[in-house]
Amino acid sequence: MTELAVALLVPWAAGAILVALDGRRRIVGWLAVAALLGTIASLVAVAVSAPPAGALTFTTGGWPEGVGITFRADAFGLLFGLLSVGTLTAATVHEVLDGVREREFPGVVVLLAAGLTGVFLTADLFNFYVFFELALAAAYVLSVYGRTPRAIGAGLVFTAVNVVGTFVFLLSVASVYRVTGTLDMAEIGTRMARADPNAAILIAVGFFVAFGVKLGLFPFHFWLPTVYTGSRPAVAAILSGSLANIGAYGILRFGAELLPRELALASGALVVIGGASVVYGGVLAVSRRTASEMLAYSAIGQVGYVLMAIGIGGPAGFAAAILYTVINALNKTMLFLTTRIRGTLVGAVFVVGALSVAGVPPAAGFVGKLELFQAVHHEPALVVLLVVGAILSLVYAFQIYQYDHWLLGRGDEPSRWQARVVPFALAGVVLAAGLWPEPLAAFSQAAADVLAPR
Amino acid sequence: MNLVFALAAASLFGAGAYLLLSRDLVRVVLGVVVISQAAVLTLMASAIDRGDAPIYPLAFGPISDPLSQAMALTAIVIGMAVTALLLVLVLRVTRAFHSRALDELAEEEAERDHRLERRHAPSQESDEASAR
Repeated sequence: MTELAVALLVPWAAGAILVALDGRRRIVGWLAVAALLGTIASLVAVAVSAPPAGALTFTTGGWPEGVGITFRADAFGLLFGLLSVGTLTAATVHEVLDGVREREFPGVVVLLAAGLTGVFLTADLFNFYVFFELALAAAYVLSVYGRTPRAIGAGLVFTAVNVVGTFVFLLSVASVYRVTGTLDMAEIGTRMARADPNAAILIAVGFFVAFGVKLGLFPFHFWLPTVYTGSRPAVAAILSGSLANIGAYGILRFGAELLPRELALASGALVVIGGASVVYGGVLAVSRRTASEMLAYSAIGQVGYVLMAIGIGGPAGFAAAILYTVINALNKTMLFLTTRIRGTLVGAVFVVGALSVAGVPPAAGFVGKLELFQAVHHEPALVVLLVVGAILSLVYAFQIYQYDHWLLGRGDEPSRWQARVVPFALAGVVLAAGLWPEPLAAFSQAAADVLAPR
Repeated sequence: MNLVFALAAASLFGAGAYLLLSRDLVRVVLGVVVISQAAVLTLMASAIDRGDAPIYPLAFGPISDPLSQAMALTAIVIGMAVTALLLVLVLRVTRAFHSRALDELAEEEAERDHRLERRHAPSQESDEASAR
């Protein structure tokens, strides 16, 4: 219980102090990294002290349960919290080693971690909205990082689109309160079953649009390429590797726990939208010539797989969706960080990422694709779609490899070791997770058991 | 009562969506503000018709739920902060591009994409030439 309070307080307090300091000084950057590591350590402490199949709950201010705001740490929330803060830490270490350019960067990153841990650990619907906005406000500031005209333009697009998305989310929150009269997420699940189906479907659509915008799914993807290509590699890595996880988490948590009936009803539509995302992202990524543009469209394609797995549903589908989200976040963080670095073995790191995106062993992506195949194996059309998507990703990834590391890479100056060390470490993690996937698979299975007990 | 709130929230959302689609960036921000008001109104309407105002001393009989009003206050504060951030961004964009019309920004973007395409074209041509 105290561990849970510490995990929420550490990034919050540290972020509030760090935004006041000049982040361009090296020491402030490392303090931010220390705060992020402290958050990870306290999340691990929560994971260790939580009962294996249950959840650790904590009600603020000592109010009785049902009155105070509740936090609940279960395997699903903890996995996403650890993943998001982990990728955030990797991107921050990269930027601090390379030299921070704006004074607010370290503090804002830590505040983003505060928002993310809150989103993944809260059990209160309105609190979810508040933490969601906190994480997004930090991301809005990060999206203009670097202050080039392109970054500012991208930041405006990102902010405007996501602000509208969160208000759509708020509309759905208000409707949920209207229909059920409660904000406790576990309670909503039981009361929603008795609600008017028409109202419930409208609410579910609102949540889906809000999280679809966040995730960059096919019909809601229009903002994504501009933002991911306009911002600096570290920021693109943060946005795609840790912030986008909220979208997958939200669709899974709200769909499977709050609105299971509506999720089952929409399963066909989710599979179609996911498939459209896979094809659209893959085809457009093939047509792109720069690494960051290719990665932006690839991100649209990759979340399509997650949505397909959610649409299939059941324990196997949810486990595949969770595992794929984890692996995709690792891939994207690593690949976005490699976009502007050159030198010995950088090409090899890129190849590890490319293999992982396409799902070729020994990279971790293979495990994710394997789980997906297991979830869809009884639907021949989806199997074909997965194979087509994998072939497209091999084509686009190696096309960029050819442009950047064969044709243009030779003449470029190699980057400093500071810029190269984090992508190398992440490539090691992706390979290790591919060679020994047991812990990750077990953790995501435990997370899926929270949503759909076997 | 319900219908009035629903119509008011719907027309606010519609007006906001219309403003969002305009070319001027300040209008886009105003559209966001109006949409945020639609959300706040829905939040308040979600419990306002259950009784009298929840002000102490409490009236005899049913009172409306104060929680939704607390939520509306929070949402207003968050909306204000986000609007301020958006306005700062519009100011930055106006200074960086010397324009706040969206189509001019898009033109600049297209021009940059065009330059990017050209950057890759010569290297391929020279490769083909050396292959021949």
